[in-house]
Amino acid sequence: MAVSPANKTDRFAEGFGGVNASEPLLEPSKGGFVRVLRYGTWRRFMGVMPFLLYLGVFLLIPALSVVVDAFRADNGSFTLSNFSVGFSGVYFESFKNSIQLSFFSAVIATVVGLLVALAIVASPGRTLRAVVTAGSGVFANTGGVPLAFSFIATLGNFGLVTELMTKIGFNPYNHGFSLYSVLGLTVVYEYFLIPLMVLIMIPPIDALRKEWVDAASSLGASRVQFWRYVGGPLLAPPLLAGFLVLFTDAFAAYATAAALTSGTIPIVPIQIGSLISGNVLVGHAHLGNALGAGMIGVVLVAALMYGLVQRRASRWLR
Amino acid sequence: MASVIGAPAPSTGGGGGNVLKVGKVFRSVVLGVVGLFFLVPIVSSARFSFTGTTRGISFSAYSKLLSDPQFWSTLFLSAKIGLGTVLLTLLLLIPTTVWVHWKAPKIRRVMEALSLLPLVIPSVVITLGVITSFGSLPNIIMGTPVILALEYVILALPYTYRTLDSAVQALDIKTLVEAGQSLGASLRKILWWVLLPNLRSGVLGVVVLAFAFCLGEFAVASLLSFTTFAVYLVQIGQTQASEAIAFSLIALLFTWIPLSVVTVVFSRRSGRRKKGGALLAAAQLTSEVVDLAE
Repeated sequence: MAVSPANKTDRFAEGFGGVNASEPLLEPSKGGFVRVLRYGTWRRFMGVMPFLLYLGVFLLIPALSVVVDAFRADNGSFTLSNFSVGFSGVYFESFKNSIQLSFFSAVIATVVGLLVALAIVASPGRTLRAVVTAGSGVFANTGGVPLAFSFIATLGNFGLVTELMTKIGFNPYNHGFSLYSVLGLTVVYEYFLIPLMVLIMIPPIDALRKEWVDAASSLGASRVQFWRYVGGPLLAPPLLAGFLVLFTDAFAAYATAAALTSGTIPIVPIQIGSLISGNVLVGHAHLGNALGAGMIGVVLVAALMYGLVQRRASRWLR
Repeated sequence: MASVIGAPAPSTGGGGGNVLKVGKVFRSVVLGVVGLFFLVPIVSSARFSFTGTTRGISFSAYSKLLSDPQFWSTLFLSAKIGLGTVLLTLLLLIPTTVWVHWKAPKIRRVMEALSLLPLVIPSVVITLGVITSFGSLPNIIMGTPVILALEYVILALPYTYRTLDSAVQALDIKTLVEAGQSLGASLRKILWWVLLPNLRSGVLGVVVLAFAFCLGEFAVASLLSFTTFAVYLVQIGQTQASEAIAFSLIALLFTWIPLSVVTVVFSRRSGRRKKGGALLAAAQLTSEVVDLAE
């Protein structure tokens, strides 16, 4: 903490940008802006400098180095060949699988999450709502290794559900299902994606203003008409935004897939992992970086779309 | 998300008018089926951990694991990394959040958005970047679990920053600091004797969240070739499924209990909007940041 004299405190306490023309505190007569920058902004940023520095060194530098090295040949010169390898053959398949996996698991979670959120908001009981919300908060943060193993116990070769289904004459493994495939991963990912969607959708459903619902009702709107003209358009932006959040979450997930398939399933994070663990392609030491840059690219597209959806929604509802 | 819809409407526990009504049957079916989906894996794990693939109940999976020396050494390693991460996190975040609320409340949103960045960059990519950019650093950092603690501070940031931030927000920092100053206390004394005791629950939340994160983290640890607890769990899972499942169950319970405590405590304190995981916060925040940028 910087030690500043007590009498200066209140000046800086107004907040970043709080220093403006109405406050004659920093000799406004000469070059107000520069002085404000010097005394205001810098002092304000000083306290967050350690944080920004830490973030820069341990997050931004690694992320940037991945992108920069993706354009480097083994001898250090500029090249695009990492990308041409990274987006062809087995690696292209991995991107396809990853995007498919994230897309479909996010779609399913979006639909189911919406239904659960609707059911919860419509339920009269406060306890049910509290339990589901708290449970969702916990399940949404569940993932990784333990999740993989609990699904092995459930839908694995000797899992409880597999066993029960076999008993009634439908062994899913004889019908094209495998827990250790992209389809299986889709099921497992629902475990943390659905709760996330529930958490995302409860507030906007709650916020469907009672007056709008009442107005629609008293104007004689049918339920279909209400959802077609009022509820649907209102919920579409948060739904789409939520979908993009889920997509990103599923796209980045590594631990569950790695633990479930021992690192053999062809999705991008796993491929990067196996490149890191030493399965380096000769002549393409930076191939992993190209895949990483590709992942960052996909996430950025999702983030961009997210921003557009939000902007649209806020403009429309203002 | 609430900001998208405008002023949050009062929560009407029983839905709105009649067009919003959802049939009781529909409700029960949806909640029943989804509830089952979330319960069955827990039940299956419990069963598997006691019986394995054979018949008859035994605790052998648990006792075998507990007598494995590697179990204890990896747990100890993870605990050490967790301790380091917690200390670093507190050292970095307490001054930062206090400063933001005291001197620069206008950048609060920006700071929160920055703290959510690790959710956007996949941890596999971060690991790759760590190897690329720090690979040539001296062995004392890259060759030891120190690098894990340093990166875990970043990866846990979406959870820890928000927790501390909302704890600090609940205090009237400016008044507390000024009261302390007018009594002649130095800033360090104020931080230690006034602010920290008031931030107890927030600090505890950070400790729990960061520690739970470190115990469960797999991606970075395994890719940097450290055998932490989660990595060990996967290794034994290759050959001894029931042991791994037994401990997954315990690990899940150990994350769920503190997480639900933190969830309940913090949702009670800061109201409806704060409920939910960090990703939800990300969703809400980005909309606000987009609003700001316009």
